[in-house]
Amino acid sequence: MSVIYLMFIAGAAASLLLYKFQKAAAYIGFGIPAAASLYGIWFFFMNLTGTSELVVQFPVMAAKFTLDPLGAFFSLVISLVGFAASIYGIHYAEEYRESVSIGAMGFFFNLFMVFMLMVVSASHVFWFMVFWELMTLTSFFLIHFNDSEKTAKATILYMVIAHVGGAAILAGMLLMSSAAGSFYFQDFKGAGVGPVMATVLFLLFFFGFGSKAGVFPIHVWLPEAHPAAPSHVSALMSAVMIKTAIYGIIRTCMWLPLNEWWGIMIIVFGALSALLGVLYALTQHDTKALLAYHSVENIGIILLGCGVGFYGMATGNAILAAAGFIGGLYHVINHATFKGLLFLGAGSVIFRTHTKDMEILGGLGRKMPLTAFAFLIGAMAISALPPLNGFVSEWFTYQSLIQAALGSGVAGTIIFTMAIVALALTGVLAVMCFVKVYSVIFTGTPRDEKIWEHAKESPALMVAGMFVLVAACVALGLGAPYAATKIIGVVTYITGTGFNAAAGISVKAVSGSVVSPVLISIIFVSMLFVPIIFTLVFKDSTSTMRKTKPWACGAKYSSRMQITASPFTGFLRQTMNWLYRSEVHFEETNGYFGKVKYSSHAKDIWWDIIYVPIIKGFSGLSQMLSVIQNGRMQIYASYVLIMLAVFITLAIFG
Amino acid sequence: MKSSDILYLIIQVIAIILISPLLDGVKRIMLAKFQSRRGPADVFQTYRDIIKLFKRSETMPDCGTWVFRTAPYLMFAIMATVIAVLPIMHSGSALSAAADLFLIVYLFALMRFIFGVASVDSGNPFAGIGGSREQMVALFVEPTIILSSVVVVFLAGGLTNLVEIKNFVSSPQILKVLPVFIFSGVAFLFATYVETGKKPFDVAEAEQEIQEGLLAEYAGKRLALAHGALILKQIAIVGLFITIYIPWPVVGNPFVSLVLFLIKLLVFYYFASFVEGVSTRLRIGDTRLAASGAFALAFISLILFVIGRVG
Repeated sequence: MSVIYLMFIAGAAASLLLYKFQKAAAYIGFGIPAAASLYGIWFFFMNLTGTSELVVQFPVMAAKFTLDPLGAFFSLVISLVGFAASIYGIHYAEEYRESVSIGAMGFFFNLFMVFMLMVVSASHVFWFMVFWELMTLTSFFLIHFNDSEKTAKATILYMVIAHVGGAAILAGMLLMSSAAGSFYFQDFKGAGVGPVMATVLFLLFFFGFGSKAGVFPIHVWLPEAHPAAPSHVSALMSAVMIKTAIYGIIRTCMWLPLNEWWGIMIIVFGALSALLGVLYALTQHDTKALLAYHSVENIGIILLGCGVGFYGMATGNAILAAAGFIGGLYHVINHATFKGLLFLGAGSVIFRTHTKDMEILGGLGRKMPLTAFAFLIGAMAISALPPLNGFVSEWFTYQSLIQAALGSGVAGTIIFTMAIVALALTGVLAVMCFVKVYSVIFTGTPRDEKIWEHAKESPALMVAGMFVLVAACVALGLGAPYAATKIIGVVTYITGTGFNAAAGISVKAVSGSVVSPVLISIIFVSMLFVPIIFTLVFKDSTSTMRKTKPWACGAKYSSRMQITASPFTGFLRQTMNWLYRSEVHFEETNGYFGKVKYSSHAKDIWWDIIYVPIIKGFSGLSQMLSVIQNGRMQIYASYVLIMLAVFITLAIFG
Repeated sequence: MKSSDILYLIIQVIAIILISPLLDGVKRIMLAKFQSRRGPADVFQTYRDIIKLFKRSETMPDCGTWVFRTAPYLMFAIMATVIAVLPIMHSGSALSAAADLFLIVYLFALMRFIFGVASVDSGNPFAGIGGSREQMVALFVEPTIILSSVVVVFLAGGLTNLVEIKNFVSSPQILKVLPVFIFSGVAFLFATYVETGKKPFDVAEAEQEIQEGLLAEYAGKRLALAHGALILKQIAIVGLFITIYIPWPVVGNPFVSLVLFLIKLLVFYYFASFVEGVSTRLRIGDTRLAASGAFALAFISLILFVIGRVG
């Protein structure tokens, strides 16, 4: 464990030393973390069962790292995406050759990786909080490598919400440690906190970590901050960093005496995040913002699984808890792989086209076939299409929700069933969204000829980075029985009980229902022969395919005729306008025959509903307080005199 | 046991694929009669259409990528997969890992995904709109499909395997929960009807409409395959309904089961043609109202289930 941490730190130092040599810094600064992550994948996979400790003697306080199965699982997720992002970063950093020091970027990248790893293994309140904040800070600096006005606004929002969340976590941790009389995590379990205190702690932890995870309604920073970063960092932030918050929720809830309604509350927030996340994602035409909203969605899906887990633990039904957690944790690693893949794919498009706006792209599949293929696999995985990995974890989540609904009272059954419906709706909307993203970017005719002419396939290492995650998506889908068995090991550590989640080539739910991605693939591939046999039997015409322009009712075809991102979801936006309150701009220039510009932009209304009043409240409060500081020297002098008088009075009578 | 299951699976899928144009022909004649038209000359018209298409040369938009080229094959294979795994002739445990309710629902989603991407890939303006609408219609009916079938899953004790669900529904236990079952069945029936792409929700035959509009750029053998895939899709979704909600009468002989399945399918087509023949096209926004009605029915079945369990 120490070797991996030291490798990252060495990578940070080396890349900082090379700050003058851009190219070398890219190879060293991202090559070392790639090697470290590769080693990490192996190491953490081997340590998925069992606990190891590492104590580092700092002058003031010893830092203690404990790698238990839960921490090892999250470390594995971090290393997996970290490996892909690092080798991708070697070539991707060239995008920044002119503008920034790649050495500095590598420095922060390495530190970001190691701080994430340390967060999930720190086992002392002080060090946990230190690494938690350092993780936030390094990601803040990494976002700033894309310098623009929008970035500054996004990062400030990010910092504010991260710190409100951080304060909540710190308060929770301190209350917890005062109750337990120790700062070490191992003493927290069964610390005997009362029910009221437990509720307060739970709320602090849930909203504290929830702010990092992007749970609705604390998600507003996420679609601003994640897209602002360089793409391989976006991949890390969206695929991995928000998972540390899930880790935090699971870890802290293991300490507390659980209550049934917490599980239900997590389910409700999960369902809301999932649905609203995907609904807002649909309206975006900035690729990366869209993907960031999908992170909100997927965190919601993860929370659905984990919520059932907590519900099961609270009701003393350890098997149900295991059923929930396997869905949640499986989706943690799945989301990391496909979201990382999608961000790397989006980055690859940006690398060659220098735009995030999908409305002016199109037809790139012909220029960048490998990127297109990788992105397609990611899009299918995130839409939970069988036999890829997203399907397996959502299937586990469905099964756990069904079990939870069957075993609870009237209200519980209805809530769990509605969560199932929400998950199904999310699935439909995700398909719609990724049909839109993939087809608008990679298929059809180019909407901007100039961009299309200059586009070509990305450099080899970027493609390699993407295909690492493609392989992971396929392996976690087809190899589901093996992965499920491994994850059950981690789940057993949380709940105390596991169940047999694999049966031959199928994965098995608690109820005994089985599903097999391998079997369905075999049937699918054999069915693929049917149409091929038909074409052979009917001896189809062997004349070569004639290529034409798409048909446009006899009019001359123009690429502007084809559907773009906004109209693809146009009807949905009309139907759901209460949720978007689209702002319509209508601009007429020079007279009757001049060009007319029409644009509409869907808004996230929760900003107006929740945040604007808070911001207004605070600025109003500051206005009122500014009376004190009004710039008159006499008043300030009188403050001094009054304070002096108070102190003297206190000194005499006190 | 295992090998016979696989054998039946193969017989079932091949038989249904070969019969499907016949079913389509029968349906076309039924619809024509309801609309006082003469319709196709005989029930074999769809065979002739498809065979003719196979022999035609192909055109393709110059912007199409490999997605456009392979989509008809993939769609055909996906729908054949769904038909193969439905427990019509086979009902053993060997294939139970493929006959899962959620798996089938997501295979339909896979079909929709490929359909949507291929439609935009063609660059054709109408196909793109059709692709978008196909997703919207799915959005309207999917909640109903999931909710009503999940209620049956609850009744069956939480098992999502279609074989188990079928066994439960065909057992006498279902009589105790008949109201729940009927409400959920009616809701699912509605969703099935919408998914088959008929008036008043869609006009499957018309170009520039939701279903076939996506095929605007296809020609020759790919058009034939895409047509075949759409016919199979109708059979697959109706087949799912029949498997879950109308498993009676239970017969041991697999070949009799297959014939019974086809008869039930024809009965569905008969009533569907009637509805289609007498209704006018709704705008897509009105579909939403109808769909919320169906969702309400499914929700009532959930409430009845919950009340029944408490009482």
